[in-house]
Amino acid sequence: MKVVELLRKIFLIDLFQGLSVTFRHQHPDDLVTEQYPIERPEVSDRFRGQPRLKNDADGKTLCTACGACALACPEKLIKIGSLRDPETKKKVLTEFGFDVGRCMFCGLCEEACPTHSLELGKDYELALYTREGMELERNQLENGIPRKVYEK
Amino acid sequence: MKNILGYLHSNLTPGEAGSLFWVTVYVLLVFAGVATIVMFMNWFERKAMAHMQVRLGPMRVGPHGLLQPVADALKLLLKEDLMPANADKLVFWFAPVTVVMTAFCGFIVVPFGPTHAITDMNIGVLFMLGVSSLSVLGVIMGGWASNSNYPLMGSLRSGAQMVSYEVAMAMAVVSAVMMSSMATGTGTLSMIGIVRAQMQQHVWFAFSFFPVGLIAFAVFAIAMVAETNRAPFDLPEAESELVAGFLTEYSGFRWSLFFLAEYAAMIAVSSIATTLWLGGWLRPFPNLLAGKNWDLAFSLVPGLSFMVAAGLCFFFYTRMPKIRAMRANAIGQAGLGCFLFALGVVLMLPGVHERIQDIYWFTLKVLGFMYLYIWYRATFPRYRFDQLMKIGWKVLLPISIGVVILTALIGVRQELFALVWR
Repeated sequence: MKVVELLRKIFLIDLFQGLSVTFRHQHPDDLVTEQYPIERPEVSDRFRGQPRLKNDADGKTLCTACGACALACPEKLIKIGSLRDPETKKKVLTEFGFDVGRCMFCGLCEEACPTHSLELGKDYELALYTREGMELERNQLENGIPRKVYEK
Repeated sequence: MKNILGYLHSNLTPGEAGSLFWVTVYVLLVFAGVATIVMFMNWFERKAMAHMQVRLGPMRVGPHGLLQPVADALKLLLKEDLMPANADKLVFWFAPVTVVMTAFCGFIVVPFGPTHAITDMNIGVLFMLGVSSLSVLGVIMGGWASNSNYPLMGSLRSGAQMVSYEVAMAMAVVSAVMMSSMATGTGTLSMIGIVRAQMQQHVWFAFSFFPVGLIAFAVFAIAMVAETNRAPFDLPEAESELVAGFLTEYSGFRWSLFFLAEYAAMIAVSSIATTLWLGGWLRPFPNLLAGKNWDLAFSLVPGLSFMVAAGLCFFFYTRMPKIRAMRANAIGQAGLGCFLFALGVVLMLPGVHERIQDIYWFTLKVLGFMYLYIWYRATFPRYRFDQLMKIGWKVLLPISIGVVILTALIGVRQELFALVWR
């Protein structure tokens, strides 16, 4: 055993092993860096980003204005306005306010929603220069906010 | 005028021919060439190291960051040139100049081809070793003149390191010089003479007297990394202990002079190693695959390799993302491909390809060493100072002295056998 170790030392086996490791890592498949604005990263399925309200196939909101999300929110940033429809005796959503500036993307609202209408989506470019525009209205949540594409 | 054109037909280096005009041309060409390679190395080192660390490296300035060294140089030139208040002004100013001068002086004797050297000195190797070890003077001057603790520590380390590794290096060189005496009976210290001896003996000195030549080569290859203060022997500028060693107080243009000198010294010692052990300008198998056809085939390799590089450029050009932000990069890459292709065509022209191939093979071998430097830096952690000294004095020095003795014994034995059996 000692002879083997001595031979390892003489022929610098460990150094050559290290060299081979670094050499193999040059393979392009090993690359982890992303060229962000040019190639956009794939976020995971469980990523919690820009909130949005989902509609059903007819374009009607899925939200029943039950207020579970507003109750679940630890920051109390969800504002729900509703009216009772005199004919069907059901609550109808009139407005939905979501202050992204205070949101910590914990996802409790998403979990509380019985109809899965509120969702924290995969958009991640939420930065703004001012706080204005961080309080999202209902139509912004439903239709999404168009991302401004900067040309060089 | 007659002398100027007459040189082209002589088979001498410009220094031997005594042609002042051609010496000037060669000096300028070598300076420009080395400076270009240094710039390219700056990019290549960042790129290769990034790939080894599964990063991308510079990508934005030019195609794959090719213009990054230009941007860096511009930044360094525009930077404020600071000098510590209590520094020794003259010495502080003179240190980077000394380092650059010594680093470039060595190239006087580097043979890029049988005639492509500035001059052929009969003490070429000695001159090269002497001049390249002078650069430690500049480092010590810089460290002392900075009037600051870290630079002083760094330069002292550099001095100790240079002195310890110089010995092993010189011993390894002695063994190669002894080998050069085998066929002719008289050894030579001239760089061109040593390559010619390898041609005559039909073997690169790295492989003669197997494995003695290889050990000498290994000793030199390790010692030269230490000589140029590169990782894993970069204790003089160990940033984790000494901020930046002797470079701490330098900024802007002066710093870039040190940088230039470091890389020029790397190229210089690599070219010594190439000349002494890897057959200098000789193409692979100059004796085994001799003959007109092989000569032609090998002399077309430089042009073809440039064309392959151009082909790669075009291939990656087609695979670039077609978006507006990448348009300038794509045009740059296509332009680079065109340039490389044109260069390849020029190198293939009759009259050019016979003359250029020596330089090509030499540069290729030197660039191999350059890659090794980067590879070491990306792989090995820095040695502690006592480990460094231990390797220098307790390992490399005995091995190199043993190699010298072995070379002498084997050489004498072979000569005696040749006498007896004649």
